[in-house]
Amino acid sequence: MDIFARAHLPRIAALALASASSLAVTAAEAKEITIWCWDPNFNVAIMKEAGARYTKTHPDVTFNVVDFAKTDVEQKLQTGLASGTADALPDIVLIEDYGAQKYLQSFPGAFAPLSGTVDYSGFAPYKVELMTLDGKVYGMPFDSGVAGMYYRKDYLEAAGFKPEDMQNITWDRFIEIGKQVEAKAGKKMIAIDPSDAGLIRIIMQSAGQWYFNKDGTANIADNAALKASLETVGKIMAADIHKPVAGWSDWAGTFASGDVAAVVTGVWITGTVKAQPDQSGKWGVAPIPALSIDGATHASNLGGSSWYVLESSAEKAEAIDFLNEVYAKDIDFYQTILQDRGAVGSLLAARGGAAYEAADPFFGGEKVWQNFSDWLTKVPAVNYGIFTNEVDAAVIAQLPAIIQGTPVDEALKAIDAEVSTQIQ
Amino acid sequence: MVHARRGGIGRYYDVNGWLFVAPALGLIALFMIYPIVWSLWMSFQSGRGMMMKFAGFANIVRLWNDPVFIKALTNTMTYFVVQVPIMILLALVLASLLNNPRLVGRGLIRTAIFLPCVTSLVAYSVLFKGMFALDGIVNSTLEAIGIISSPIPWLTHPFWAKVLVIIAITWRWTGYNMIFYLAALQNIDRSIYEVARIDGVPAWARFTHITIPLLKPVILFTTVISTIGTLQLFDEVYNLTEGKGGPSNATLTLSLYIYNLTFRYMPSFGYAATVSYVIVILVAMLAFLQFFLARERDR
Repeated sequence: MDIFARAHLPRIAALALASASSLAVTAAEAKEITIWCWDPNFNVAIMKEAGARYTKTHPDVTFNVVDFAKTDVEQKLQTGLASGTADALPDIVLIEDYGAQKYLQSFPGAFAPLSGTVDYSGFAPYKVELMTLDGKVYGMPFDSGVAGMYYRKDYLEAAGFKPEDMQNITWDRFIEIGKQVEAKAGKKMIAIDPSDAGLIRIIMQSAGQWYFNKDGTANIADNAALKASLETVGKIMAADIHKPVAGWSDWAGTFASGDVAAVVTGVWITGTVKAQPDQSGKWGVAPIPALSIDGATHASNLGGSSWYVLESSAEKAEAIDFLNEVYAKDIDFYQTILQDRGAVGSLLAARGGAAYEAADPFFGGEKVWQNFSDWLTKVPAVNYGIFTNEVDAAVIAQLPAIIQGTPVDEALKAIDAEVSTQIQ
Repeated sequence: MVHARRGGIGRYYDVNGWLFVAPALGLIALFMIYPIVWSLWMSFQSGRGMMMKFAGFANIVRLWNDPVFIKALTNTMTYFVVQVPIMILLALVLASLLNNPRLVGRGLIRTAIFLPCVTSLVAYSVLFKGMFALDGIVNSTLEAIGIISSPIPWLTHPFWAKVLVIIAITWRWTGYNMIFYLAALQNIDRSIYEVARIDGVPAWARFTHITIPLLKPVILFTTVISTIGTLQLFDEVYNLTEGKGGPSNATLTLSLYIYNLTFRYMPSFGYAATVSYVIVILVAMLAFLQFFLARERDR
């Protein structure tokens, strides 16, 4: 007993001393806000910038921005919420707009309502609507996923096309151009991940439809826009002008390495495109191609996300104040993240800033931000519902059959059958 | 006297024994029995996320009508039927080859074949994903030696994705099964083989008529272990397909579907519990089969 005490006393004393001093440090210094998000070139970098701005005026608050893959963020969040342990969760989390209602509805009380603190009248209404449940607004609107077509001017020139030829085209024309690019420039037109329905969603929303009706019921079998999107992607793949990829990094790698001539996706990809300085001046941006059906437009959306504060967070008050100070009020912040990262925010007042007027040398001096801003106002509004992941899986499951020539109507019936058991 | 001690002291020992195992029993009850019972209760509930309510047999009805579940079940069974025999046979052949005492460097070869099964599941899946990419090392090698003329879409074609998963798990687990056979082969009397050789039995017949029958209990054991492993297959598919079981659900397994139902889709904890009980029942049926076969052998 005596030996035990003698051997351990100094260690115990040291431990007590250490914890006492660390306690003192905590009291005098920092509150740390932990944030989960997923794109190091985009929202991670932007949140670090936002954190730096806030720390300047509030030196007692520091930030820990954690970078996961997007699916990992979603799955960790869902696990943490289901287990009910607050320790496993961050203070602020980024949620893609498609999933917002799913989390709000299936985990009531998990997120802190911000209505009352934040003035939501300054934001794009569609963003506010998708984070509203039972009269309370839960998130801080962040970026828009307004879609555009990024294309390699040099490859298209080699195939005999000028930038004018890329403006306001149809998908059929896109495929024709793709064949020329393949023949003359030796490059694939576009990279397609057969297990990702993103492109299908872009095309479908551009014609004003979604997987769900306004009332949230499934809109599959009679959805002309979905049908046309599936046909279009099937045609692209049948024409063999695409490079098949597996997964996000593989996909992003195709334009970093110059393997494809065009990328059709959300504006948030700008940071990743610009991450290759040697490609400066070679890229152009055009509106996305349109379908040839009623209601078809050249404007659509992919993704876009918003920040949510966890109700269980120990730093809840600081987290809310931080989001409100930077994301709802700091116009200059929005100019910086637009210039550096290509983030088109949803704070309407930010659009009057100088950065939105500027020409970007990376895109050969085009006023790309002005364009994206214009397209944003034309994006057809749809109801994202709460089962996007489920329907995505059902749609992807039918893609190979469509490429092999199964009539799209049959594929739609199969999707409809699968979805009806999945959404309950 | 012995008899007299039994009553008092015997009970005393029993109490002590129970006290010693009580902490372990308590932990097992808390972390194993309670979750098992709770998940059974959950499988009769349905709802979105935390908003669950009792639903009777609704989840079981949903199983019958769920094409994704049927697909996952078919895939899992396909892996089981195709992969387990290939792997068991391969492991048997390798084990009897490496059991040859005249083979030079067999320690090294044994280690090399066993090594995959101590690598991390995630690490090797990620590596396989890179190697089997469209312009990965496997396709470029096959093209260079002229076996194929255009690259095989390992990760993007439903058929090839299944093949890739089978290649991956075979690579990972063959060595593991081989070790069991090697150990069992040490217990077979050399003189049996000598007699067979003297009688002029060819090598292949010695393998099928001596090695395999004498290894039968071990083969049975490894088959059941591999069956359970295949029914619970998750890591490889998750990492190779970014958690989607794609393309076209061609590689979706039951475990991955449970994961998706819980963490990726609108969380349906009740339905996910029901699907996990399907695995429990399948494993139980196959374990029963093992007992049945083992009993027959003893008779």
